[in-house]
Amino acid sequence: MKDDNKTKRQLVHELTELRSQNAELKKSITGGLSTELVIEEARRYAESIVETVREPLLVMDADLKIISANRNFYRIFNVTPDETIGSFIYDLGNKQWDIPKLRDLLEEVLPEKEAFNGFEVDHDFQDIGHKSMLLNAREIYRKDIGSKMILLAIEDITERREIENGLKKAHEDLTVLAAELERTARVKSEFLANMSHELRTPLNSIIGFSEVLYDEAFGPLNEKQKKYVNNVLTSGKHLLLLINQILDMAKVEAGKMKLTVSSLPMRDLLVEISLLFSDMISKKKLELLLEIAEDLPHIEADDLKVKQILYNLISNAVKFTPEGRTIGMRAKRVDSEIEIEVWDTGRGIAPENMEKIFEGFFHVDAPYSYVTEGTGLGLPLSRKLVELHGGKLTVESRGLNKGTSVCFTLPIVSSKELWDE
Amino acid sequence: MSKKALVVDDDKNNLMLEKDLLEVAGFEVFEAENASDGIAMARREKPDIIIMDVRLPDMRGPEAARILRQDKETFAIPIVFVTASVMAEGREELDEITNSGFIGKPINTRTFAKEVSQFIL
Repeated sequence: MKDDNKTKRQLVHELTELRSQNAELKKSITGGLSTELVIEEARRYAESIVETVREPLLVMDADLKIISANRNFYRIFNVTPDETIGSFIYDLGNKQWDIPKLRDLLEEVLPEKEAFNGFEVDHDFQDIGHKSMLLNAREIYRKDIGSKMILLAIEDITERREIENGLKKAHEDLTVLAAELERTARVKSEFLANMSHELRTPLNSIIGFSEVLYDEAFGPLNEKQKKYVNNVLTSGKHLLLLINQILDMAKVEAGKMKLTVSSLPMRDLLVEISLLFSDMISKKKLELLLEIAEDLPHIEADDLKVKQILYNLISNAVKFTPEGRTIGMRAKRVDSEIEIEVWDTGRGIAPENMEKIFEGFFHVDAPYSYVTEGTGLGLPLSRKLVELHGGKLTVESRGLNKGTSVCFTLPIVSSKELWDE
Repeated sequence: MSKKALVVDDDKNNLMLEKDLLEVAGFEVFEAENASDGIAMARREKPDIIIMDVRLPDMRGPEAARILRQDKETFAIPIVFVTASVMAEGREELDEITNSGFIGKPINTRTFAKEVSQFIL
């Protein structure tokens, strides 16, 4: 019995201990607040989350009646708290919320899964127009009221969808446009190829017959006849040059200009080209200065095209430099490239015309002078041919009547993709 | 005895010009304005050389050349194509024809007869 008494006393003591521990524990959990205060705190905590979230948020009971909504729900869907709280969700805004997909979601999907994320719903609302919405929902069982609660977050993605659709549309439009441009470019280059063939046939006659007449193969001509027929011949040849250059430009632009690359002895080539101009140079009493570096290397490039570039540039220098002055050519190696400069002391280029000279058919001169002075395509074509080789062509002039300098580079070793297959 | 040349071209001006240039150079010149007439003329006259346009009204020059190559009367006659087409793909077709060459348009009237003569063996 003694033992029993002891045990009972011990038990009472332990119970007291436990009670005080429990109170301690409770105190530590609630931070010394009463249960009512704890609940109130939790409610405010939840409410401020609901209010802080940018997305419209609805809290509903198990019958889909709205218990609360956040400010952004009222703002975005243009409804008042009065018509919202306590209403059946489908009745909101004159039953505008009676959306079949939403019904499906809340009545079929949610009860089965208890949660869903990112469900997209599109709907036309009477007063706010079309909305694309991304829905997240959770079903929560609340012990205190002994029933379910539904949280529905509605992200308004109308604007995002519009942007996405706009981008998609723009992308589709661009694809169509690109295809159309490609087709146009192809038609253009085919047209130019055909046109150049069609133009050459009558030109063959113009140049051929006037040349035969000029050579007096079938009898002598008087002075005037000879001069006139020479005019026909010169104009015919000019026209032919134009046609060839237009065709070349079209080919480069259509990416159809292929290079036939070989090893070119540049020193010899530069001298050889300059000799072609000796007649013209002496006729205009010009002085030609050649400064070609001793160690100028051979380069891998297209022989005809390099000659064509040089021919264009030197003939410009000769053409645009007045009698008695100097023109020149410099060539040297710079790293893995060679740099060639063709300079003159002629009329120069005004700063405002600097870019125009590459547009084609641009003549700084008075009208008519082009009949004898080139096509206006020489420089743009030369730039394209230099670029095709992987080089750069730049023009400098200190201004009108201060001469012009055209400088271009060509790589010493050509990149393989430029080679003609 | 002067050499015989046959010129086949549907452009009357070209025909006249080439004929005149060859005659001045001492050729006896025969003319045809289409491929079939040219082939018939080649069989009849057995020229030393045929100068032919690539684009002819009834068939393409290379096609006419293949017909000439299959005929033992004409298979050995050198053929010079005169073409304004500077496209590389056209040239491959011409390269396949034996004993042939080409001269670009417009022709150089000062060297045309000489260029043609070089193709005669």
